[in-house]
Amino acid sequence: MSDATNYVTLTIDAVEVKVEAGTTVLQAAEHAGIVVPHYCYHPGIPSRPAQCRMCLVEIEGQPKLQPSCVFPAQDGMVVYTTSETAETARKSVIEFLLLNHPLDCPICDAAGQCMLQDYAFETGQLRSRYAEAKLVLGRDRVADDILYFGDRCIVCTRCVRFMEELAGDNALVVAQRGHKAYIDTFPGKDLDNAFRGNIVDVCPVGALVHEDFVFKARAWDMDSSPGICPGCSTGCNIDINVKENQIVRTKPRLNPDVNSYWMCDHGRRHLVMANRGVRAEAPLIRVDGELEPASWNEALTWIAGRLEAGDGAAVVSGGAANESLFYMRGLLSELGIDGGTFRVLQGEEITLPGFPKLKLRADRAPNVTGAELHGFKRSDELADVPDGGVLIVLGDALADAPADYGANAGFFLCVGSHLYPAMVNATAILPMTSVLEMEGTFVNYEGRVQRFHQALRAPGVARPAWMSLSRLLEHRGVGEGVLDARAAFQTMAAGTTGMDNLSWSGLGLRGELLSEAGQPAVAVE
Amino acid sequence: MKNPIHPAAASSQAFQIAEIRPIERLFEDDEGRDRLEKALSRYPEKRAALLPMLGYAQERNGWVSDESMEQIAGALDLTPAYVRSVATFYTMYNKHPVGRHFIQVCTCISCHLHEADEVFERFLAETGTRAGEVSEDGKYTVIEAECLGACGFATAVQVNDRYFENVTPDQIPAILDELD
Repeated sequence: MSDATNYVTLTIDAVEVKVEAGTTVLQAAEHAGIVVPHYCYHPGIPSRPAQCRMCLVEIEGQPKLQPSCVFPAQDGMVVYTTSETAETARKSVIEFLLLNHPLDCPICDAAGQCMLQDYAFETGQLRSRYAEAKLVLGRDRVADDILYFGDRCIVCTRCVRFMEELAGDNALVVAQRGHKAYIDTFPGKDLDNAFRGNIVDVCPVGALVHEDFVFKARAWDMDSSPGICPGCSTGCNIDINVKENQIVRTKPRLNPDVNSYWMCDHGRRHLVMANRGVRAEAPLIRVDGELEPASWNEALTWIAGRLEAGDGAAVVSGGAANESLFYMRGLLSELGIDGGTFRVLQGEEITLPGFPKLKLRADRAPNVTGAELHGFKRSDELADVPDGGVLIVLGDALADAPADYGANAGFFLCVGSHLYPAMVNATAILPMTSVLEMEGTFVNYEGRVQRFHQALRAPGVARPAWMSLSRLLEHRGVGEGVLDARAAFQTMAAGTTGMDNLSWSGLGLRGELLSEAGQPAVAVE
Repeated sequence: MKNPIHPAAASSQAFQIAEIRPIERLFEDDEGRDRLEKALSRYPEKRAALLPMLGYAQERNGWVSDESMEQIAGALDLTPAYVRSVATFYTMYNKHPVGRHFIQVCTCISCHLHEADEVFERFLAETGTRAGEVSEDGKYTVIEAECLGACGFATAVQVNDRYFENVTPDQIPAILDELD
């Protein structure tokens, strides 16, 4: 920030705040920790229509109440957000919004996270003075996965403006006017934008709801953990909402450096799929030709004793955490195996025009840069297995592998979260947590190291790959097994080019860029 | 003249009226292109020509159909949804088919004092419709209108672009005859 920045000092509810000139009163109040109720204003959407009239505040010297979302803060200004006039105005706005509102909070998916509910409760109007019949608008579908409940809608137009200004597709509009106004698409032209799911997130009430979330969970029944979307190499910051160890919803989490307030629909769908599949729950070792379950100690000792240094191949995944890849590299070095490859599913690249940094990127894996950083090479082909050599597979589903893949290997170690048909030839299988069940880090397309937290409980005795691999190394007499993500990260950061500037606590919830030495070769726009 | 259509379904009978009065495409003949060009020449940006074009669609077809909205959107580089948003905002664009003679009876205060209600009822009776419906033969639609600005000549009745002033219930059969 340069010294030339102009600052203004104003008083909001007796709190003195110093903000940059041009800041609105509402934002200035936020600086002072005062929340001015608002609906149509959304920090991620550029336009400020000031149409909901909820953020009206009293400003000394102004003849009327002013909408604080557009009114610029000025030097010496004295603002009251909770004066009697402001409160009365707010109360009237709420009363108007509730005229035709069905008050169906008990079955509404937004209940508990609804700005209308919160403010109505806050203003304390427990009874309506409106005795007439309510207008019924009913329910509509605006996209194949999004429902619109017209009666709950307060026509703040956040969704309309998101589609117009961020998604660049003016396909959602306000139809009719006055008390009959509702949000609609053109008949027969539902939203098909790849970022349409965000209209559900910006909706301050329960008017727009994802169909795959509808009636699934109440706001207070869900746990939420900060994660990184594993859908592509952008690494959007997300909140994963979990109920009874099942992902029920994902929401974007603010990170101005990566995804702002948004995420794409591919990511949302991708994560809900994480509930599916047959999981590996216990270590399996091949005894007398059959894969038999074993305890971790038994399995690790068994494997450590049979792995022989020499010729070998390794297949990893661009979806594995950095820490896992680091210990994988450690194991490969111990066995004298160079290289190792990973394959990345490719898809169409789609940009969010209003925030072009956010793209659904062609690399549909979260840690491609990280895998390259740890010395693994991108490849289109599955690695060839030398006869009698060691094959180690980490995280790759081997979906397209021939039925005898790995059968010629002397030792085929599979570290995987799911049991896939191609694992039938494995000598040993170590159950791995998915990235939703562990802590760790990814490096996104621009070299930003981002930390993700555990969202789900792992099935059986599945463990993060960094834990099992480091312990396998310990069983072979190399180093010590690590049991927590922080230690794994710190060991990795110290031993990896480009990561020496990073610290676990420094990553925080925003992530940090790799140092220059580790920056990905591809230019960042 | 009996109308079998239930009032709830009345204004959704597009298929019925379409037989009698096909919906014309707007910008595929000289007249349409000419109107579009003239409207565009008056404004700095294309979007501004939206209201005149909606008006033209109504002038040509009697109402603004979804197809018309799509054609206008195509001509003005707008999304059909946006065109619909504007068209539905203004109540005087008909979003449903109307009869060839669109009869608007003023029932505001001055006309009300001069038997406007009786005039309106008589129109409904004579045409065999209910308010807003299209008559079976596709000829008439009768609605109540807000002030037509002819308070000095109550009751005022507007049929398409033509005004009938000082209308009394007795004159209505003659007016309807005249329309045909």
